[in-house]
Amino acid sequence: MKKLSVFSILLVFLLLAACGTSDTSGKDGGKEGEEQDKKTLKVMTDAAYAPFEFMEGDKIVGFEIDVIQAVAEEAGYELDIKHTGWDPIFVELNKGSYDMAISSISITEERKKEYLFTIPFFLSTNKIMIPEDSDIQTAEDLKGKVVAVQASTTGHFAVEKVLGEKHPDIKAFENNNLAILELDSGGADAVVADNGVIEYYAAQNPNKKLKVVGDSDTFDAEFYGMMFPKGSDDLKADFDQAIEAIIENGTYTEIYQEWFGAEPDLEALKAEQEASK
Amino acid sequence: MCYAIFAIFTNFTGGHTMNFSFEIIIDYLPYFGKGALLTIGLSIAGILLGTILGLFIGLGKMIRNKWLAFPFECYITFFRGTPLLVQILLVHFGVVPMFLGTTNGIVAGVIALTLNASAYIAEIFRAGIQSLDRGQMEAARSLGMSHVQAMRYIIIPQAFKRMIPPLGNEFVILIKDSSLLSVVATPELMHWGRMMMGQHAKVWEPYLTAAFIYLVLTLSLTLLLNHLEKRLKTE
Repeated sequence: MKKLSVFSILLVFLLLAACGTSDTSGKDGGKEGEEQDKKTLKVMTDAAYAPFEFMEGDKIVGFEIDVIQAVAEEAGYELDIKHTGWDPIFVELNKGSYDMAISSISITEERKKEYLFTIPFFLSTNKIMIPEDSDIQTAEDLKGKVVAVQASTTGHFAVEKVLGEKHPDIKAFENNNLAILELDSGGADAVVADNGVIEYYAAQNPNKKLKVVGDSDTFDAEFYGMMFPKGSDDLKADFDQAIEAIIENGTYTEIYQEWFGAEPDLEALKAEQEASK
Repeated sequence: MCYAIFAIFTNFTGGHTMNFSFEIIIDYLPYFGKGALLTIGLSIAGILLGTILGLFIGLGKMIRNKWLAFPFECYITFFRGTPLLVQILLVHFGVVPMFLGTTNGIVAGVIALTLNASAYIAEIFRAGIQSLDRGQMEAARSLGMSHVQAMRYIIIPQAFKRMIPPLGNEFVILIKDSSLLSVVATPELMHWGRMMMGQHAKVWEPYLTAAFIYLVLTLSLTLLLNHLEKRLKTE
């Protein structure tokens, strides 16, 4: 009798669990039918990259978040932005579970082979963050030093060009904050990442006594794009149009000034946008 | 049979044509090899140091004076009660720089694994020792042995045989848990798996390969322990 009641309780739980999952999938289907005028796009991001995208409590905020929301509103879409981490972006975007990604993703030839990018919307350069008293001045000085980077970023690839592929002095972390933490704890002599991120960090943490140096010979100018899986040509067209629109009507400049306290170099940006068409 | 499983995998990744690329695995084999060696080294260090430390902590917890035993209990509670991942982050970014002035992924790995394992092993020792009949201790004492002599010559050798299955368990867990060190960029096996995924944006190749190598390591350990158990059999 006791075994029967235990078994029946387990059975009830299993049925409830099965009902639970089928209910939610049913609800989702209904919702999509209703919102035909404003389609909701699922967006991936690595929200550990202040000031571009980062977590404030449980909200994802940042320069790129403001930009993509302005662009989506212009193009007539709703957004559902999820923090997924960096590596998953390059694995999952082509699988169909997400519609696009925005995460300080530099447009590179390699990446263009697998994904579709919008026109560029931000100019960035990788720079080196070091303690104030460090004697590192150029990328060549990084030889013989330990460099912390975020794995599989353009910063990582650029440092590999200088130090050598998979060099043991390159410490590649899952996200940039851990790389910065490694510098703080004395385990690395430098961090290489987008100038926006490390300049923001150095300015926000004056007590850590850090400085940022650039090396335009080694680190090329890079442009961020919003990334789509291959085949999303309609979305790309809508977003390209919307990006150009918010630059024309000054929304982009407004957002840029809010986050960086400076004027964007619209000339260089527009030139690159023309070149990429 | 393996081909059948492989065929099922390729069919279930639906839509997307999946080419399981053995080339990139072969490219990365030297790194997986180096990583596996480091994993083995870290695990052995954690096991040996953890066992020695665990023995003392286990004995410490069994001290009859509650006040003296208390710190040992706290130690066990903390290291069993907090996730190993948190301990690794604390040790790597906090403890190691405090003593060395810089971080060191390997030192951090050995310390974190040793501290964590010793807490579990302490309890395993206590279980083994306390499972022996009180008569053993009474007989030893009545023969004139001191408490320490009784433990060293009578109790612990007998308890050891009982501890091999749970100790074996803990060692296997340790090998797998060492994979968490990849978060602090210690260049062990899992770290190279992640690097391979990051570089090639492929999922099955790096992670299946890493899983397979871990399986080889844990199976070898299990066979070794089975052999040890057979040799210590007295029935």
